Formats: sequence, C-alpha cells, structure tokens
Amino acid sequence: MLSPERLALPDYEYLAQRHVLTYMEDAVCQLLENREDISQYGIARFFTEYFNSVCQGTHILFREFSFVQATPHNRVSFLRAFWRCFRTVGKNGDLLTMKEYHCLLQLLCPDFPLELTQKAARIVLMDDAMDCLMSFSDFLFAFQIQFYYSEFLDSVAAIYENLLSGKNPNTVIVPTSSSGQHRQRPALGEAGMLEGVEASLFYQCLENLCDRHKYSCPPPALVKEALSNVQRLTFYGFLMALSKHHGINQALGALPDKGDLMHDPAMDEELERLLAQVPGLVNSVTASPEASCLPSRTPPRVGSPWRPLHHSRKVDGESDGSTEETDESET
Amino acid sequence: MAVLPVPLPSAKMAAVEKRRQAVAPPAGFTDSGRQSVSRAAGAAESEEDFLRQVGVTEMLRAALLKVLEARPEEPIAFLAHYFENMGLRSPVNGGAGEPPGQLLLQQQRLGRALWHLRLAHHSQRAAFNNNVSVAYECLSAGGRRKRPGLDGRTYSELLRRICRDGQAPEEVVAPLLRKVQCRDHEAVPLSVFRAGTLTCFVLLEFVARAGALFQLLEDPAAAVADRRVGQAVLDTLEGALQASDAAAPARFLEAGSRLGPDSLALALDRAVGGRRPSAPMTREEFLERAAALFIAKVKPVG
Repeated sequence: MLSPERLALPDYEYLAQRHVLTYMEDAVCQLLENREDISQYGIARFFTEYFNSVCQGTHILFREFSFVQATPHNRVSFLRAFWRCFRTVGKNGDLLTMKEYHCLLQLLCPDFPLELTQKAARIVLMDDAMDCLMSFSDFLFAFQIQFYYSEFLDSVAAIYENLLSGKNPNTVIVPTSSSGQHRQRPALGEAGMLEGVEASLFYQCLENLCDRHKYSCPPPALVKEALSNVQRLTFYGFLMALSKHHGINQALGALPDKGDLMHDPAMDEELERLLAQVPGLVNSVTASPEASCLPSRTPPRVGSPWRPLHHSRKVDGESDGSTEETDESET
Repeated sequence: MAVLPVPLPSAKMAAVEKRRQAVAPPAGFTDSGRQSVSRAAGAAESEEDFLRQVGVTEMLRAALLKVLEARPEEPIAFLAHYFENMGLRSPVNGGAGEPPGQLLLQQQRLGRALWHLRLAHHSQRAAFNNNVSVAYECLSAGGRRKRPGLDGRTYSELLRRICRDGQAPEEVVAPLLRKVQCRDHEAVPLSVFRAGTLTCFVLLEFVARAGALFQLLEDPAAAVADRRVGQAVLDTLEGALQASDAAAPARFLEAGSRLGPDSLALALDRAVGGRRPSAPMTREEFLERAAALFIAKVKPVG
C-alpha cells in the first residue's frame, strides 16, 4: 500500500526511477505524429489510450529500437511480444538460423540491430558455427538475457577479458560504450592451458559490478547459484548458464518457465478467434519474412500454427543438439 | 530493478530548465534532444505553439503535478486512469447532445469528487487535503437549478459511496456514517467535509487491517477464531486506544507499547490459559467490534 522510499525520493528521482518523463515525452511525440486523431477523439482519449497501451505492453510494437530498449518495462514488453507472436515457431518445432530470427525481430521492430541478434545467437551456439539452426526456446532465452541485460553483459565481457589476461580484478575498468570489441576467442585453450576463468574469482568481480552498476543486473544471489557447480568457465558458458537459469528468468518476469513456453490455451483460443475474423491474416504475416530476407530454403512454417500440442515435446528433446538433423526436419 | 539507460535526470532537467528560461514558461516535454536536433528550430517552435494552443502543455503539466502529489506506485497506470477520467468529463464525450438531467449531473459530480478524493492516500496529508478541497468545490459548484454550496444529502451520499467502494461490510461502517453524516438540508462546511471523508478513509484502512489480523487468528478450516484469542486481541486494542485519549505524543508511545508483540503475546497466553473455550468468533463479529472501538473515538458531527 505504502512504500515510504517512494515518498521520500526527490521529485526528479521518483520520475526518473519510474520513467514517467520518458513516456510523457513519447506520448507527446506520438501525438504530434497523429495530429488528425486528436481532432477526432480528443487529447484526453489519446493519452488514455497511450498510457493504457504502455500498461499492457503493446506500446512497443512496431516502434523504433531506441524506444523499444529505453526502459526495463519496454524490454520486458518486447520480449513478451516476441514470444507471443512467434510462439508457434517453437510449437511447430521449426529450427531457424540467426538471420531468420533477426527477420522475425524486425517484424516487430523494423530497425532492430543485427548485432544484438548475433550476440544472442552466439550464446546459443557458444560462439561457434554461427550459421547453425536454433530452436525457438533456445534462442528466446538467450535473446532475453542478451537484450534485457545488454549493458551489464558488455561490462561482464570486459571483466572476463581482464581476468583472462591475468589483470588484477580490482583495477577493472568498465567501458561505457557498447561496442563489440570485447568479443573474444578462447585463445588460452589453444595454448594448452585451462579454458576460461576461475568461477569464484569471476563471481567476486560480478558481485562488485552489480553493486555499482546503474543498469539492470540479474540478482547476484542467482548469478552465484548459476556459477556454483563449476570450477572454471568461459564467457559464453556463463551466458549460457544465465539463459538457462529459471530463477533469473522468473526474476526478469517477461517469459514463463521453459516448460510452459508453448502452453497457453487462452492465447490459442484468442488466436483462433482472431483468425476466424481475419481470414487473410495468416498468409500476410508469413509472406513478409519469406519475401524480404529468408534464403531459398524451405520457409519456416510460421503460418500453420494450429498443430496439436505434442509437437512441443519434440522441441524439448532437440533443444540442445539443434545443429544436427536439420535438413530432414525441414523438408 | 535497477535503472536502465535513460538520460540522467539531472542533465535532462537542466536542459529543460535552460529552455524554459529561453522560451515561455510552460515548455512542455517536446524538448528532447532527438527532436530539437532532427527538426529545424522553426518547426519545433510551431510544434510547441501547437501543443500550447490545443491545451496539451497545460494538460500534461496538471497531470504531472498530480503524479508528483500522489506519488503512486504505478504512475503509468495512474496516468491512464487520470486521462480516462478527464475524457469522460469533457463535454465532447460525456454529455453529448442535450444537457444531462439533474440526477445524472449529481451522479457525475459525485463520481468526480470521489475520483479526486482517491488520487492520494490520506497519509500524504498535504496532497489529500488539496484533493479534498477540489472535491468540495466540485460538489458545491452552482448549477442551473442548484444553488452553490454542499448540502447534507450529497455529503452523506458521498460518504456512503466511499464506504461502499471500500469493501467494508455495511454493518461495520453504518455506525460511523450515523455519527459523521449531516442532516439532508444542512449546509456542510469544508472542515466538516474534510473530517468526514478523512474519517471514512481511515476507518476503511482500519477495517482492512483488522481483517488481516483476523486472518492470522482464524482457524483456516473453520473460518472462525477462538473466542478467547479474539477477545484478548480486542481487549488489548481497547486498552491501547484508551491510553491514546489525549493527543500528547507520550500517549502514542504508550499505545504502541501496549500493542507490541510481547504484551500482546502475554495477553493471548493469559486468555488461552485462563478461560475455557466457548463459542467461536466469526470474522463479521470481530470486524464489527474492532470497528466499534475505533468509532467510539470519533466525535459526532453537530
């Protein structure tokens, strides 16, 4: 009912913490772009609909990337939208390449940067064989970590590299830019030494980072848990552990547990109902990714989603070894 | 959840302030870097003019002030609600066509007053008092066939609505309403109006807390509590309330210590040990008796 911290904050901090001005500013921009709507419906109604859509999380659909990633709420909304829109890909058991997932992301956010999709794919594929096929759930959970904790992961990458090159963790300098320069290959492994860095030392640095990080971080206790049963780990091993940790998924709050990812009878019903109303919808949605950027290979079966639920089991079975059996499953 | 990348508030606000000095006072929220960089200065000016002309600037200013006053937990939902209500009130959507009848007008006024009253929690006293004044003005505005001023009938109706929407059982709040409501024809001054509405809100919260307390005491299977335990809690509460008769700060401390876990535990222990079990106590009874302790402290109006 009452949280005193909220009431004790200075005005600007309260507004910044809840991103009130971000949304008000955006509401005004949207209003200026849709001036003719105002004369028809009135300003109050325009703002009502805008703020309601922010509450429901539909405000990020088809918006520019800078807005989509502007607040934690927007990121959660985007992840949820991506899951709900393309859940059927996973349900069908289709495996897609990084570029194909990128096309799906661009359907929701036209200027979505390829770099981010690539980074997510690197988590799934452990920075190897980047043109491999991935299952929907593998990609989704990796993408979630990469997208939501983007700034945090950039800092983690810098820490990891410093540890790898044997620098003292206490003098780690966190980069402020989000450039991709930190991408590294496990060069030490080739030299016959142990691969990766020592887990406990790595965790100490991360804990330190979480304390002073101004962006969203995963809860340190859960990070510790994810690292608890390994001695050493690589950067992508760490990201993979984060993306597979269901506690972190829950703390983030955008997606259900992996087991429930394909199970949403209410949504299925709703989709059936909507599709009955708009018969042309299915075809138009699938047409665009094929036309724009899919290779000549068999297109993904995005548009035939209403298969029985047992297909979701198949996905679970092949979720980790998604690099084999590709061509058979696609024909 | 930590803060994701937005421009630092201080830097952003400094920019807003700077522009405010340069341009007219209500500069609105269009002055983000993106816009002023990407568009010509002339276009930005005309957009500002446009926003001012159609009333967006003023509307957002008022909304932002309300947000800051009420400090809601979910400011975005608060804003959606705020604008929704504003939309209903505006003549374009609300009373389209012929002017609404007297009864409808009265209902609209009540709804508007209730909305103002609920904007801020009563513990935020400055914000709440502001909203009470606005609600009072809403209700006492003159109309075609209505003389200015708030009559007892409207006031009582408002209090009933507050209590009804507060989800407290009717028989629990009825004694309070009898105490604080005015006669139908009486003129209600602002001080009485404020005291009456505030008392209703505080009682609703009191009843909600008493309900939570009962939930702790009750046997989940039977949905009733041991009478000895319930009685002991009520007695302790009564003792504490009696101690706080005068407004001296020391009395509050005394009341607090009487309700502290140790003395309450002692009372519970004594009750269970001392008396034999009798008929169980229901939730309704507990709430009613707890509320009666509270209501006994309320001074009757007139």
